[in-house]
Amino acid sequence: MASVTTTAPSKPPVQERGTFSKKFNFNYFVQDNVTGSRGLIIWVSFLALINLGLLFQQFNNAPGRTWIIFGIWAVTVLGTVVGELFTLHIGATRWLKENMFNSVSNALLTLLLALLVGIVVAGLWSWGVVNATFDPQLTHPDVRTFDGASWGVIWGARKLLLTGLLEPEQSWRVILWTVTILALWALSFIGTREQTRETRWGTLVRQFANVGWLLSPFLSYIFLAGLEYTEPFIDPRRLIIGTIVFSAIMGILWFFKVIQLTPITTALWVLSWPAAYLMWRGITLWNANAELFTTIDPDRWGGLLLTVIFAIFVNLLSLPIGILLALGRRADVQGIPWWILWPVAIGLTAWGLYSSTFGNCIGTIPALCENVNLWATSRNTVEQIVAFWPLLIPLATWAFLRSFNGNFLQAFSVLFIEIIRGVPLITLLFMAIIMAPFFLPEDSQGLSNFWAVIVGYTIFTSSYTAELVRGGLQAIPKGQYEAADSLGINTLQKYRFIILPQALRILIPPLAGAVIGTFKSSSLVALVGMIDLVGSTKAIIANSQWLGLRTELYVFMFVLYFLVSSIVSWYSRRLEERTGLGVR
Amino acid sequence: MTATMEGPEATKVKDVIVCRDVHKWYGDFEALKGVDLTVTAGEVVVILGPSGSGKSTFIRCMNRLEEHQEGRIIIDGIELTHDVRNISEIRREVGMVFQQFNLFPHLTVLENITLAPINVRKWTREKAEDLAVTWLTRVGIPEQADKYPGQLSGGQQQRVAIARALTMQPKILLFDEPTSALDPEMISEVLDVMRDLARAGYTIVAVTHEMGFAREVANRIIFMDGGEIVEENTPTDFFNNPTHERTKLFLSQILNH
Repeated sequence: MASVTTTAPSKPPVQERGTFSKKFNFNYFVQDNVTGSRGLIIWVSFLALINLGLLFQQFNNAPGRTWIIFGIWAVTVLGTVVGELFTLHIGATRWLKENMFNSVSNALLTLLLALLVGIVVAGLWSWGVVNATFDPQLTHPDVRTFDGASWGVIWGARKLLLTGLLEPEQSWRVILWTVTILALWALSFIGTREQTRETRWGTLVRQFANVGWLLSPFLSYIFLAGLEYTEPFIDPRRLIIGTIVFSAIMGILWFFKVIQLTPITTALWVLSWPAAYLMWRGITLWNANAELFTTIDPDRWGGLLLTVIFAIFVNLLSLPIGILLALGRRADVQGIPWWILWPVAIGLTAWGLYSSTFGNCIGTIPALCENVNLWATSRNTVEQIVAFWPLLIPLATWAFLRSFNGNFLQAFSVLFIEIIRGVPLITLLFMAIIMAPFFLPEDSQGLSNFWAVIVGYTIFTSSYTAELVRGGLQAIPKGQYEAADSLGINTLQKYRFIILPQALRILIPPLAGAVIGTFKSSSLVALVGMIDLVGSTKAIIANSQWLGLRTELYVFMFVLYFLVSSIVSWYSRRLEERTGLGVR
Repeated sequence: MTATMEGPEATKVKDVIVCRDVHKWYGDFEALKGVDLTVTAGEVVVILGPSGSGKSTFIRCMNRLEEHQEGRIIIDGIELTHDVRNISEIRREVGMVFQQFNLFPHLTVLENITLAPINVRKWTREKAEDLAVTWLTRVGIPEQADKYPGQLSGGQQQRVAIARALTMQPKILLFDEPTSALDPEMISEVLDVMRDLARAGYTIVAVTHEMGFAREVANRIIFMDGGEIVEENTPTDFFNNPTHERTKLFLSQILNH
């Protein structure tokens, strides 16, 4: 190897600046740019002809603008040619040569596009600025100008655009909510920045923001839906049953070694529900006395608010559901795993005992409310025992668990995903709003339109998310699963610590796409009568005050959708960079 | 802490691995055709054989990465059955090192090692990290603790994988071709660690193509072909006086290439 000697490659002689280029050859130039092939000749002549036609037309219509565009083009082309021929390139001409005028046809294309952009921009400018009115008083068809835009409509109809049918005196709550969420976001952003992440101050900000995010669902609910105070301050039934359910969850987590139980953590878990319940009742009572956040019917939400709420709700719900469906589709379990069946059984038992023996009816499924007051109306011991029928649920569960065989989880996931994916979103929305009441008993109030659409939309989105997540799970090498298994890590820990962190990182770009898609597709709910951003725009256009002002409103809608979507994609890129650490 | 470092913890029974007539099918293909093996505590067993002979399948059956369909496998007195609790108990006591290292790329070296002790053994973070650093020192790379696996060389990654298996304080170590994916100059650094472990008294079952290692360290050599154990012998006799024709052919092929 060492015997092979290499001579240094000879450098091309440096040409002195300002002398005629030694590389330039007129014949080659014409051949490369015009006469090289029949296709090239046709393409260049075609471009030249179109340019000529457009130039003539534009010189007649708008001579000033056209002279400016053509002049700039001619001067820059000349500059580039001189720079090229006499080796006088400076930064600007080199950039022009590489990006604008690197061949005759591209130079012609540049002129063509500049002319077209000029036409569009000039049109927009004269319509949107020069001839436009901005006064909300000047939007009525009788007084409006028809030469330009009447931007006043956006200010005049701002309430309907942003919050729909919400009472104007309640809009401060929406503003409060928006400010809270934006502030939390800003705090998270500051807390996770490269410069501040490691400092104590940054950690503090981040922890504060995390607590805020944990509380944000409750805050959002209080701000946007309000609280109602009806029950007694402390309802022992809710207290006891809630504690039982929480302790059961803890038991399962403990069994799977997700949590460790010390006397202190056990006490904390047992006390968590009573503490949360008392706090919640306290807030409710205080709110009722202060008459601050009175209840708002979700069906009154509208405009941008509704669109954003839809996007947040559906995306937040569909990710965990999608992950579960994806795991279910890959499951290799015979029968229904007991850790799914038992929580369901415990929940059903608690709910059944609550509704049948205490004479109260929660939820909105009246068929199950027929058992109301069994305990109170029971006349003898036998009937009193019957009143505790939900206690049979665990027994039935046990029998079911023993007898049911087959990969139930996979069958359920596959059926769910494939059926839902085979149905258009709009069909699901119509089914949720129009057909669901047929399945519910007549005297029930049923779901409000808002919740029906949330349910339908979430079902739709989660089946798509499930397939995305499944793709991510399949991208994780088999060795990762085997390494985790060989260390004795259980299934839950394996997915929590090893598989999902890696899979979700892979999934950031497609999930961001899905989030944006969900946000934009939510405009379909306007077709089932919801007044979201699109719905309220349609309502505004039909209003006699603003009749027919669709261009202005659609431009505004374009800007809003574009802003939110680009924020999401920017955020996903940032997330991708931040989680890209240490990936091989 | 150093006391546990000196060697493995005492096993419950003397014969830590007992395999009786183990069969394994992949569809119609019979990968293991009734394999018997008994390994006593502290023994180093090397499994040799041509590719496709079922040696990897066999040791992967010992911690249930593969399921055997017939026969019995008893690890430290616990039989491998469908019972999930048995499986997880056995996996806690059996450490495994893979050909492709299989480190978790999104976790640092230290997190890779301490994940299982903290979540499976329920140790405190301090205890787990203490032992992790001790083991990293013993395999010679304490300074790499805070790096990600992608930043290490192949030999370093495999030593991290060994430290990860050992921090769980297993009673048995399984090596599945630990040096096959390594560059030649990195093989020796991994073999040194394995030699060290063998001397410390760990029970080791290794599938490897390193004949030098087998000759020097193994107490016993198992030669497998076609899903069966063909020959079982001490290293000296195995390399010098192989009895079986198939063994002679195999040895002539790998020693005179």
